[in-house]
Amino acid sequence: MAEDYEPRIVAFLCKWCSSAGSDLAGVSRMEYPPNVVPIQVMCSGSVSPLYIFSAFNKGADGVLVSGCHPGDCHYIKGNYYARRRLNLVKKLLEYIGLEPQRFQMSWISAAEGTKYTQIIKNFVKELKPLGPQTKMRRNP
Amino acid sequence: MANIEDLKEEAKKLLREGKVKYIIGYGAGTNGWPAAPLFIKKHEDVDKLVWNPTCVHNLVRFLVDEKRRKARQKQPDKRPVGIMVKGCDSRAVVVLLQEKFIDRNDVYILGVSCGKTGVVDDAKLSKKMGGKKAKKVEVDAQDRFVVTTEEGTVEAAAEELLAERCLECKANFPVIYDVLSGEKTKRPLDKPFGSLEKIESLSAAERWSFWKEQLDKCIRCYACRSACPMCYCDECVVDSINLAVTADTTADEKAQRIRWVQRSAESSENLIYHLVRAIHLAGRCIDCGECERACPLDIPLRFLNKKLEKEAKELFGYEVGFDSALPALISSFRDEDPQDFIR
Amino acid sequence: MKRTGVFICHCGINIAGTVDVKNVAEQLAKHPGVVHSEDYVYMCSDPGQNLIEQAIKEKKLDGVVVACCSPNLHETTFRNAAKRAGLNSFRCEIANIREQCSWVHKDKPKATQKATKIARSAIEKVRQNESLDALSVPVTRRALVVGGGISGIQAALDLGNSGFEVILVERNPSIGGHMIQLSETFPTLDCSQCILTPKMVEVSRHPKIKLMTYSEVQDVSGYVGNFKVKILKKPTYVDPAKCTLCDECTKVCPIVVPNEFDLGLTGRRAIYIPFPQAIPASYTLDDKNCPDPFTTIACGKCADVCKPKAIDYDQQPEIIEEEVGVIIVATGFDLYDKENMAEYGFGKYADVLDGLQFERLCSASGPTQGQILRPSDHQEPKEVVFIQCSGSRDPENHCAYCSKICCMYTVKHAMLYKHHVHDGQAYIFYIDIRSGGKGYEEFVQRAVEEDGVVYLRGKVSKVFEENGKIIVWGVDTLTGKPIEIAADMVVLAQAMRPSTGAQELAKKLKLALDKDGFLAEAHPKLRPVESVTSGMFLAGAAQAPKDIPEAVAQASGAAAKAIAILSQERLFHSPTVAKVISNLCTGCGMCVAVCPYDALALKEGKVEVNEVLCEGCGTCTATCLRSAIQVKNLTQQQVAEMINACLGG
Repeated sequence: MAEDYEPRIVAFLCKWCSSAGSDLAGVSRMEYPPNVVPIQVMCSGSVSPLYIFSAFNKGADGVLVSGCHPGDCHYIKGNYYARRRLNLVKKLLEYIGLEPQRFQMSWISAAEGTKYTQIIKNFVKELKPLGPQTKMRRNP
Repeated sequence: MANIEDLKEEAKKLLREGKVKYIIGYGAGTNGWPAAPLFIKKHEDVDKLVWNPTCVHNLVRFLVDEKRRKARQKQPDKRPVGIMVKGCDSRAVVVLLQEKFIDRNDVYILGVSCGKTGVVDDAKLSKKMGGKKAKKVEVDAQDRFVVTTEEGTVEAAAEELLAERCLECKANFPVIYDVLSGEKTKRPLDKPFGSLEKIESLSAAERWSFWKEQLDKCIRCYACRSACPMCYCDECVVDSINLAVTADTTADEKAQRIRWVQRSAESSENLIYHLVRAIHLAGRCIDCGECERACPLDIPLRFLNKKLEKEAKELFGYEVGFDSALPALISSFRDEDPQDFIR
Repeated sequence: MKRTGVFICHCGINIAGTVDVKNVAEQLAKHPGVVHSEDYVYMCSDPGQNLIEQAIKEKKLDGVVVACCSPNLHETTFRNAAKRAGLNSFRCEIANIREQCSWVHKDKPKATQKATKIARSAIEKVRQNESLDALSVPVTRRALVVGGGISGIQAALDLGNSGFEVILVERNPSIGGHMIQLSETFPTLDCSQCILTPKMVEVSRHPKIKLMTYSEVQDVSGYVGNFKVKILKKPTYVDPAKCTLCDECTKVCPIVVPNEFDLGLTGRRAIYIPFPQAIPASYTLDDKNCPDPFTTIACGKCADVCKPKAIDYDQQPEIIEEEVGVIIVATGFDLYDKENMAEYGFGKYADVLDGLQFERLCSASGPTQGQILRPSDHQEPKEVVFIQCSGSRDPENHCAYCSKICCMYTVKHAMLYKHHVHDGQAYIFYIDIRSGGKGYEEFVQRAVEEDGVVYLRGKVSKVFEENGKIIVWGVDTLTGKPIEIAADMVVLAQAMRPSTGAQELAKKLKLALDKDGFLAEAHPKLRPVESVTSGMFLAGAAQAPKDIPEAVAQASGAAAKAIAILSQERLFHSPTVAKVISNLCTGCGMCVAVCPYDALALKEGKVEVNEVLCEGCGTCTATCLRSAIQVKNLTQQQVAEMINACLGG
């Protein structure tokens, strides 16, 4: 694998908690690698399994879904459904042999700029040795 | 296996009295395989119904066709349809009821019990017969299979010929029925989800190898989708080749169907199709095995859906197809749902 | 043909320092559908906004992307600019290339590349945006208050005084709740009835308040601004317009039942007035106990002696339908039943009372005319033990939470006891003293210094009767010694529970309950008077244990929130709500089950969206197996394109 391989990560961030947490990381001028491109969704509950599969299909090396902590969902319970649904997605992806590090889910609140930074840094670090994701990618 | 004379009597009565439109059951097959689906409209034809270990088909899929037919009719016949179901098939009826796809009044359920055995796997049967054609398959008093060929009979222990899914059977008699033929024998569950052990014990790389090899065979014929009673969506989300255009379908709607995967039977696209199908069947698949049986390339599809059935049970305590009043797996949650995978 | 305009902000050097904004503008100019692409130093400034407005007009843009700071800051600014230029505001999207890009990366080429991707993603989104207008619904400018205790009364008065019609529904024959049962209130020792009855009278005389007592809410349908309520008005069999409160009827009534107002310490007749100052001022015939179980028709004695002919045995229950715009739920509390206290006698000892019962003993209009007497033998108790935290702060056996008011009313009870029985001794077993309100701490000190109340820090393990005394086994943890007191009376500060029947009412209103059964507030810190259901508010002990000043404050707060809705002729709501693609919907109902706002419903096999209730969270869209439901302007189609753009495809 090329020395300059940089994993590409798509992050689905819920508007009220995780995206706000990401904004806080920015306001606090924290630093993390530019590998992740964020997509703001209203609620982690609105993240369909199709998004995850499609992201990998379009060449993502890693996918992150992040929402509010249980009990704090702006829309009351969307994150509970996300928790259940995405657990099934994770188990399915691992079952077919996709490296478990490639799909991650986290709870990041609007106050956790530091946590967001850490999650991204760790994600990139874990993905680098795995090389590009070719299993689900169209026309690799 | 159950002697279905009582069921036949009930069927005759239903047809004579006009209580059902028609009956979907098992009849004699052609082409070397003893049983096939049979549609009976007249009570005189009821004696053609059979019940033996070659009745592998999940007839519940025909209820989907029935609903589609009714939807097209201006003044549909509202009488129920009679249907023969095994234990596994009845769980499919439960799921369709759960999802309000059919109404309880739409079906008259003629249940049959598999007793202590089940149905045979045709691949295993062929292997055992070594080229000879099976003319009849029965179960004897010791629960052994007895296969009649042109040259005589062959006996085999149940495990030798039983379909893989019968070895993990959760419901050897229907969980919902209007009449039941056969005994409600309690079968000790051999090993729930035992068939998954082999794959689960492989390393990630080995698992990938296995699934890539299997799914690369896929030609996207969609036989799996066509055979599955739960794949009743007028338009499949993954690959819309069947846009149900009505007078009300707008240009926007037609344009809006996303191509999540390309139609070409490429490795990555096949994989996405099967992953989406598996996820959409989570909490809905009752392991009737029809998808695998229908696949012309022998792809072991059961193992994909079974994995999620297992996770539904182990992670969320969810049992599919027993209680039609239960909310769907993905439209419910528990406070204690595991979140150890979440950072 | 799409005509998108892209505007890249430098934000001084905040963005331009790390992102090559000129390069981004150049790249995006080549993006399919982009007909205008420029960069500017401060897009949010007036000249910056003018650039957008001009470009919209000159280039006939049908979509605008501003790549700048977080949408939380200037989304509204740029959407208003678009609106001014004649472009629907929802056709303007923000690409956050500052907080989520330029401020967190140092590598300029990579940050530039990422900023381009973020902007492309926004372009793909805005290309599929619909033009939307905020939804508006008319508001029925009337309010419903459920519960006629101090909270309900206060809320009704605030609403009425603001000029809105209020319907106040109370299930008992009179308003007043528990506060009217109290003798004196802490820390002022104000006579409770003296401070409450003026408010009660004000309610009865208020031209805007429609008082419905002996009534219960049966059904609620609709949504904020447009609720339809069915109220059951139970028959009292007495015409309040004719009743003169002469009391002749009770003298001849043969039926005696336990008096709920005195918590069973006395009896009342089947025809009765709960207390003299009842509002409405009228008697009630309790048809649960009249006629008695052995006859099937009323004896008729009360009607015989009623000179004004106010009694009418033929009164029927009525279902009254009302339309209101907001609902305030103030159903109050009840005390945790003594029956649950195994250690303290299962509530079967006559001289082991709960706080409200003791309150009635203290009351001048109570069962003993204000004398503190033992219910068993009517003797004056010389030693009274008060036990705090009875049923509270006990997650293993009873309620886990603290009931907040018990420390204060127990010390009040001890003081009142001492004021009545000068030679009596009061002991209070406590774990902590929670006296945080105004004047509360001083009140506690007064009890100790002036009235000689003895505080013992420890729990009581057992209470039982022996030879006419109540034996209390406790411990004094400060000295480490076990304590046995042969008391004449024990008063348990029972936990505060939500009022009986509140759970059923919450179900009817589809109001969420918290883990202890109290009504759930929208946010524990910032939204304590709102429920999750738009248009329904909470007040008083129904939401959580609290004292009277807090209940009054919360009631006024709830009224203020309600007035915010009622004072508008129309309610406006974000239009980025769910929409159903009917021909794909199979009516499975999974989306209906997951909607946190009950905004979805099945009608004839297809799902319909109540746009006013829908908050646009999108949980339904991820649940639907057929993608038959989408959120406007954030459809799955749009996200698919955004994913593509993010990956550089």
